[in-house]
Parts: sequence; structure tokens; C-alpha cells
Amino acid sequence: MRVKFTLNGQPVELDIDPRETLINTLRLRLRVKSVKRGCERGECGACTVLVNGNPVVSCILLTIQVDGAEVTTVEGLRGDMLFEKLVKSFIENSAVQCGFCTPGILLTVYAGIKQGRIKSTDDAKEYIGNLCRCTGYVKIIEAVTRVSREVWS
Amino acid sequence: MEFRYIGKKIPRKDAEAKVTGTLKYTYDLEVPGMLIGRIVRSPYAFADIRRIDVSEAVRMGAVVITPDDVPQKPYNPRLVSVHEVTFKDTYILTYKPRYLGEPVAAVAAPSEELAQKAAESIKIEFERIYKPILDPFEAMKPGTPKIHEKIMRGYEWIEVENNIAARLEYDEGDVKRGFEEADIVIERTFKTGKRYHMQLEPKAVLVIPEPGGKLTIYTTTQSIHNTRILISQLFDIPESRVNVVRVPIGGSFGSSIQTNYLVPIAVALALKAKRPVKIAYTREEDILDHSNFVFYFKIKVGARKDGVFTAAEFINILDVGAHQIQPYPLLGTSLGWFVSMYKWKNIRYRGIAVYTNKVPGCAMRGYGAPEVQWAVETLVDEIAEKLEVDPIELRLKNYVGRGDIFWGQGPTVKSVIRSDGVPELLLKGRELIGWDKRGHPREKKGRFRRGIGVGRGFHTSGAGGPISGEIIDYTGCILKLNEDGTLDYITALQDHGGGTLDAHVKIIAEELGVPPELINIVTASTETTPYDVCTHASRGTYVGGECARRAAQIVKQKILEIALRIINKAVNPDALKIGYDEELKQSIVYVEGTSIKIPLAEIARTAWQRSWGTIGAFVTYRATSAPPSFTVYFVEVEVDTWTGKVRPLRVIAGADVGTPINPDMIEGQLHGGFVMAWGMAFTENTRYDPVTGEIMGRGLITDYKIPTAADVPAPEEFTVIIANTYEPTGPFGAKGFGEAATNPAVAAILNALYNAIGVRFYELPVTPDKIIEALRERGELEW
Repeated sequence: MRVKFTLNGQPVELDIDPRETLINTLRLRLRVKSVKRGCERGECGACTVLVNGNPVVSCILLTIQVDGAEVTTVEGLRGDMLFEKLVKSFIENSAVQCGFCTPGILLTVYAGIKQGRIKSTDDAKEYIGNLCRCTGYVKIIEAVTRVSREVWS
Repeated sequence: MEFRYIGKKIPRKDAEAKVTGTLKYTYDLEVPGMLIGRIVRSPYAFADIRRIDVSEAVRMGAVVITPDDVPQKPYNPRLVSVHEVTFKDTYILTYKPRYLGEPVAAVAAPSEELAQKAAESIKIEFERIYKPILDPFEAMKPGTPKIHEKIMRGYEWIEVENNIAARLEYDEGDVKRGFEEADIVIERTFKTGKRYHMQLEPKAVLVIPEPGGKLTIYTTTQSIHNTRILISQLFDIPESRVNVVRVPIGGSFGSSIQTNYLVPIAVALALKAKRPVKIAYTREEDILDHSNFVFYFKIKVGARKDGVFTAAEFINILDVGAHQIQPYPLLGTSLGWFVSMYKWKNIRYRGIAVYTNKVPGCAMRGYGAPEVQWAVETLVDEIAEKLEVDPIELRLKNYVGRGDIFWGQGPTVKSVIRSDGVPELLLKGRELIGWDKRGHPREKKGRFRRGIGVGRGFHTSGAGGPISGEIIDYTGCILKLNEDGTLDYITALQDHGGGTLDAHVKIIAEELGVPPELINIVTASTETTPYDVCTHASRGTYVGGECARRAAQIVKQKILEIALRIINKAVNPDALKIGYDEELKQSIVYVEGTSIKIPLAEIARTAWQRSWGTIGAFVTYRATSAPPSFTVYFVEVEVDTWTGKVRPLRVIAGADVGTPINPDMIEGQLHGGFVMAWGMAFTENTRYDPVTGEIMGRGLITDYKIPTAADVPAPEEFTVIIANTYEPTGPFGAKGFGEAATNPAVAAILNALYNAIGVRFYELPVTPDKIIEALRERGELEW
């Protein structure tokens, strides 16, 4: 089946099996390795991507479902002001440990802040559904809140 | 002591690569011609296989291996103990699966889809299917079928009796007399859940056969060297022909101290295919690869009216699952944690590790300490209540502290405690949490009830000691000055995410007087690094860091010698110093009180240009001590007595880490450690279907709940206090911390739960239904 979408602003056109999941298209065909496979059940959030700006877990999404959509991964946000603020805040607040969940979390909170869903600490706690086993989320929440306060104050 | 780099917040070197997703983990790796491997697993928990029909898979073009294609020698995937106490009962692939999910065959094919289809086409014909034995007490009964007949202990075959995998007994003093002297005696039994590590990266491996029969292996491991040794032993390949490369790892928490089962399977596939083979577990396979042991404790403690303990008896039954991933040393550490908590005076210990048809149990952050400290800290609170003394006072009176003998990692790893922040942390924490106003559970009414609890504990820093014991513990590193004045630091230690190697860099920077930016953490493999046993036992900073410091000390000496040669004047060598020159913005060697200063870069360049040789150091190091890092948690919880839900309100986490190398990372460990303990207390357990022996919910993580961001305290309610201590045996006074950060947190949480509702729970996890049930039994619920 033919599928057309944009990946990080670049047009992509593929002929694929309709059963193929977006994570496999991204990782195996397009070699986007920042999208991590953590569970393949839509539970952990490591494979989060933005589809038309909304965070979506790519492991339980079929690639044909993004036909005509804009797909964004962390690679596509380099240089974006909000994204770079988040990168800086995560690094400075030591919100990164093993790093496996980090790209997915960044995409989730990027969308959350941009859409005005994360403004406070409580918002961040509720909005981040991604799993992290190292940090206990505390420094992640701090890093996110620091940016969201700046953006929404 | 004034430090330039230590104790300062310096972002970790790999942070940007991690945040922007450019860092490659094992499962991200690809090489040309690579095949994808899939493992065929037993659908039964305990069975004999008659035949494995692989014809369809072969017809599909897959490379297939069965037990006939792999060396049939028993092994233990974890090589931390000396050979004589390493029990070997695992086979790469087996005709006699002993847990549901045990690998029986494997395939490799050019794509994941083909590999999966080939794996599904394999037909297993069973000779006999046995009823799974899931309860260790049933397993020990005479007449229960044997899960293993014969296993190897070192190089000897031994007979397994009553499914007992290993035993350890210990007696000290006169327990009978000790209990007679006691005014009160309390006895309790405890049981933990079978927790799963749930590290975010499922295990993965890539094996590349190189020309000339050599193998290059990339895998999720905490010990590249032990993985090399194991593969060398299993396949009879010289160690020099096996190179294991260190790859960033997406968390571990003890689950890759052993070489994960997929590594030898991928090696066998790659050897047969003569092509690179990669295997990456799905999450469900990962749960079938490793989980924690189940602990059953029976503990009896005696105390006098004046609050002095007189005796303790500790029965420890470990459910080890179907194979040994070294539960024998865990019998030792369980005892070690127990005797190092309080001065019991008279001790009787019986430890028995028992086989069941479950996923093999392996170490998980704390290696028995969270479990033992939960039990002991529960009992200490109960004794305090009975004696009507303050629980904090009782702890201060009896705990094992400065000047006492600490058991580190069990009876063969003993050392004297030299740094101890317990009083400081207990007293500060007591103040901060408002301990004296916590009230009695009797006084608490209404739907939402709050409680405050304390838990005190520790973890060892490594497993070193004055005398070599049953646990191997030494490390090594190389440090060299490059021709431009930068440095390469070479070590086999791993960073699981806690920032271990960044700590080493800061230690080197401090010792040398050069900024951390100049020090490069070199890609490491077994053929380029000296042996290191494993990044486990919270030894990364304490042992690895001291090794790095010693290397820096040697390099510093050599730099000064070269500098002296360049200066070519009668300078007193003791007057030569290395420091950072703020004007030149670089490191220099200078003579105090003179205008003599030479940039480090110039020294390096000169040594190169004049062919004076490379300035470097090769150090191998074993610590003579394994000091405890003490941790004290004060926790306030709120219980919803209608739903049984508990939430954390406030946490005071006190850490005695000696000198904190990176305070940010210490905080990060405490946050993560507390939240992991929260899961252990309330949700985490892999339950087994009693009929089939399958993990309920088929091992999907939908049914294994770890805490989310919504479950943790707000950042402003999580206070970290670091004790003002200095460990004289550690690098710049530092101790280890990864495990201490979690160990006593469960105890504090559940003591807080008791303080809120007046109920103690002796079986983990304490799920909401158990809380509701307990309140209902007391007639406390309105309906």
C-alpha cells in the first residue's frame, strides 16, 4: 500500500504492508533510532512521536494511519526554541539517567507545553504518562516545570 | 576540604546525546548482512521434550539451532563468585524446560518477520508434562519431583536433594540464653513479591563473527569481562578471540550482572550462520528472562526492657526459580544485611535457596537489602511500641555504626566502619518531618488518614575487604595523556544511567587539577581494558573511582617529571604544582612563587616531539574495605480508607555517601530509589498461574504496574539531606550509593502506613484490596 507523510518536514513516500506499525517504519525503514521500542503495547511511551503535533505511541499505530500527516521525532525539533529550552533544562537539571525514555518524554512534554496542557507541576505530573525507571520522575517534573513556567507565565 | 570539581554540579558528558536521541543502545545497532534471531520457548513450565521438528523453519531458509547444536554443559550466567561456590545448572538450550519460557531452540533470518515465522513453525513434541512446582515449601517436601537431578558445584557434579539449590548456616553466641535474657520476644514472618526490574531497554545482543574465528559481541551487560569469560568457557574459544564491547545500557538494576540468556544463544546462531546475528527481546520475553527472587523470612528478636537487643533468629527461604543465578551469595548477603543492621549479640541463621518452576531469580537493586531492611525495620518499630520507647532512640541505641564490624557482602566480606552519618540523618530528619507530632494511629479517624514513618538502612560499597573471600572484587583502568594535553580514560566499568563514569572523570580532574572537559571516556571493550568484575554492588564510584584516582596520581607524577625536564633548572620537585590558570584558560604546571609556568598541552606536545614517551598509568585495584553508605528515610503518606489507595505526601531522604562526588546524581538516585521502593511496597509482583505456571497476564507490562509521574511526590515535597561525613578509604572521601538509595525506603513507607491506619502488613505488595480487607476485619469500614 502506498503511504505519504512528512517526517521531520521531509516528504516520505513508501509502499508498505498495511499491517506495518509506525515504529517499524521509522526504525527499520527510515532508520530513525531515537524512537525506542520499550514494550510494543502502548504502555511505556519510549516510542512516542508527534503526529500533527500530538504525542502518539508509534508502536500501536499503523503506518497507514499517518497517511497525509506530519510526523515529528526529536531529530526534527533541533533548533526549535521550545525544544532547545527543554534540552537545556533536562541537561542542567540532571533529568537524564539511562536516557532510554528521554526522547519520548521530551516529545510528550514538548506537545504538552506547546498546547498549554502543561503549565504547572501538577499538570506535568498528570500529563507525562511515559514510564521512567531511573529518575523517579522528580527531576523530569522539575525540568519540565521550569520551562512551562517560563513559557506560560 | 575545598574541591574544585568534586561536589559541583557538572552536566554529564552523555546528556546531550541521550536527550537528542543520538546515543546508540545495543538494540539500535545494525551491521551489513545481519540476521535477526528469535528464541523458541517452552510453553510448559516443567516438561520433557521428545523431539523438536525444525524442518519447516529450515525449508523457509532460517538458520536453526536446537539443544543438539549447542555445547551441552551446565553453566551459571553470573560469574561474580569464585568457582568453588558457583553452582551450574543452566543449558544454552534444553530438552528439559524447567520454567515456562525457557529457551529450547532458536532461529535466525534476514528479517524480524521471517525470523518470527520460522520460530512459529517449529514443532515441539513433548514426552511428558509435569505439574509445575511453584511453592518453595512444597518443593522441599520429600517426594516432590526433582526439578534438577544433578548440578555442578565448581567442577564437581552434585546431587540435588529436596530441590534445595544451596544452603548457608551461621551461628554466633548463645541464642537460647539470649532469648531467656529478653523481656520481650517478637516473631514474625514476611514474604515479598517476585519483582521484575522493568529497565526501559529490553535485553539485546549483536554477535559478529570476524575473520579468523574471532567474535565481537555488543550486549546489554553490567560486566563485559565476565560475559567474555563465560562465552569463552561455554564455546571453548580462547578469551583473546572474544571481544565484548561496552554499549550504553538503558537501565539495569541488577538484571545484567549475569550474562543474559540471549547472549550464548546469539553466539551459537552466529557461529552456525557464519553471519552477524542480533537478538532483541520483546518486553514479554524480557520478563521471562529475569526477575527478582521471592524472599520468605521468619525472624525472631529478643529485647530487654531497657531497649537493648539480646538475640535474633533469622530463617531465610529463597525461591530462586528454575535456575541459579548465584542465589548462594545472596544467602550470604541476606545474613550480612541482617547482622549489620543492629547488634543482636546472639545470632542463629538458616538460609535455604529452593528451586521452583518459575523464571530464574536474579539480583535486583539492593540484592536482598530492601527486603531484609523492610523486615528488620518493621520489627524494630514493633519492639519500640511494645517497650514504649521512641523508635528513633531505639535505633540509635542498637545500630551497627562507627567502629563496629560491617559485613559488606556477607560472611566473607568484613570491614570496620569508619564513617557514619546515622545520628545526624536521624535527628535532622526527625526535625524536618515533624516526627514528634505524628500522633498514634488510634487517634486517626476519617476517610483520609496520614501517617509518618522512618526506615534506616544502608548498602555496601563494593565487595572488597582485607582478605579475599568468595566474591571476586577488583578493577583496573588506564589513563593516558594525549599529545595535545587532553586525557583518555579507559575502564571496563559500565554506566547504567547513574553517572558512574562521570564521577570518575571528576575524580581524575580533581586529582590532576585539569578540567573534566579535557578527560575523554574512551569506548571500551574487553581487549582494551583491564579486568573489572562488574558494575554492581554500588562499587562504581567507590572502587572504580579510587582506581581512577590512583591512575591520576601516577599520571600527575609523570607530568611533573616531564615538566622538570623541560624547565631544566634545579627546581625542588615538591614545589611543582598542577593547576588551572584562569588567565590562560588552561591547565598549567607551575612553581609557586616564581614566574615559571608551562601549559599542560605544551608538556604533552614536548614529550611527543622529543620522543620522551607517553605519559600514562595502568592500575589494577582491589578495595580493602566495603564501607556502608547509610540511608535514612522519613516518609509521610495519606491513605484513602475507602479505596485503599496510598499516596506519598512528603519524603525526607537522608544520605550518608561520604563526600558526594555529584550531589545531583545522589538526588537522582534517591528519587529513583524511593519510587522503585514505592512500587515494591504497593504494586509490583509477577504472579504465576497455579495450574500452568505461566506469569499471569502473559507477562504483559499492562499487568505489571510501576509508578508513573502521577504517583510520586511533588518535587518541593521531596527533600534530600546529605550527611557531613568523609570515608577515609574512598576516593576523596566518597562511598557508593546506587542501592543504598532504595534499601530502607520500603520500610519507611510501610511504617508510615502503619502510623496512618494502625495495620501492619507482612506480605508484599500491599495492594489496595489488602488494605480494605484489613480495615474491614477491624470493623472500621462503614459498609
